[in-house]
Amino acid sequence: MATPIFVTAASIAAELHQAMLEAKGLALTAKNARALAVRAGSKTVGFKAITHFIDELASDIIRQSQYINGVSEKLSQHAVSLWRSDTAARKFEWLESQKLPHGDSLYDAMHNCYSEREKLSLMLSRGLRELEAQLEEGDKHIRTANLIATSSKVEASSAGDFRAQLEVIAQNITTTANQIRQHLTNARRLLNQKHS
Amino acid sequence: MQATVIYEDGDHRWIMFGRDPNKSEGIIDTNQYLIQSGDQAILLDPGGIELFAPMLSAVLKFVPTEKITHLFASHQDPDIISSLGLWDQALPNAKLYSPWLWESFIRHFGMERIEFCAIPDEGQTISLGRIQLQFMPAHYLHSPGNFHVYDPKAKILMSGEIGGYIENNEASLYVDNMTSHMQKMRKFHQRWLPSNEAKQDWIRRVRQLDVDIMAPQHGCLFQNQQVSEFLNWLEELPVGIAVR
Repeated sequence: MATPIFVTAASIAAELHQAMLEAKGLALTAKNARALAVRAGSKTVGFKAITHFIDELASDIIRQSQYINGVSEKLSQHAVSLWRSDTAARKFEWLESQKLPHGDSLYDAMHNCYSEREKLSLMLSRGLRELEAQLEEGDKHIRTANLIATSSKVEASSAGDFRAQLEVIAQNITTTANQIRQHLTNARRLLNQKHS
Repeated sequence: MQATVIYEDGDHRWIMFGRDPNKSEGIIDTNQYLIQSGDQAILLDPGGIELFAPMLSAVLKFVPTEKITHLFASHQDPDIISSLGLWDQALPNAKLYSPWLWESFIRHFGMERIEFCAIPDEGQTISLGRIQLQFMPAHYLHSPGNFHVYDPKAKILMSGEIGGYIENNEASLYVDNMTSHMQKMRKFHQRWLPSNEAKQDWIRRVRQLDVDIMAPQHGCLFQNQQVSEFLNWLEELPVGIAVR
């Protein structure tokens, strides 16, 4: 059975909510990395520079996840309204086919309902296109995260006594980036599935 | 829609949804609850049709649709279950537990896929994941066919309209001050509860339960000592006042 679009949109919002929580964890990783880099001094200058990028990336992902979350929630609301207005429109269509003696008195209500359905349908299509574009934008962040993770590993390897701790941080970045990527993949899979 | 975890022990959780800042004015504020255990979850009094979209969004942040296996409607009111037609689209394999008395009425909200499970007058116990939930009779409180939900493991009683009061969105989650709260609840209970006999019988049965949190469908939640204070207060309160 096809999934109702309002369920899909709410599920996408939930995936992005999880991505946002992961990104908050990434921001914390950036703070820990910076504190460690300060303690480690000159051996970790390269790593310290990277922490600024991690921080910035985390803020970008949080901002974008919140935005997509908002778009998805709005979309879910529009889809519910569309479902309700479509249900009403189908009843009106049936009534119209009955050629009732006072059927004309329904004309205004009926046509308001039909135009509302059309308006909502248009809003839904636009919203879905925007969601698709935003998810693609999210992929760019993941590519950046992977670059940062690789650079972090390289910098960690030359950090002397702090190598082990910095390697853990580099691994955290990789793990978090993978988790965020998974949430984006799930969101895209939801968007591409069959809807009713 | 705000969501607050009010109990958590491993994969056994109670989440309260409500205080929706985007809710249209003129719509009564309601508390919805989700109980999760293992791979199953139940939505208690999932709410009115106007709240469906924010409610669905909030719920899916905790569980995916396939794990919402049960719904519960304490009675037939629109703020309890008028969203049924939409849940019917979202959760086609779920079961709805509700008083037998209301089946043919509740179906007016639209239910083609969800299975209706009629709760008998004497109540019923069901399994949800690894826990047991009791549907406890609360007839005439306020509806003639009415149930509350007791979770003996979490020691939480979802008390429907009992303990309810229409709060604004800024209200605290738990009752701050029992004395002032009793004043606020007074008229609501006196008008909405029709039977003193039913009220006393319910109090007697609730006193036999071990309750840490009493969670009504409107307003603030009661915890620990506040529960027995509430029962003592309600015991003395004459109800069904509109005919006097």
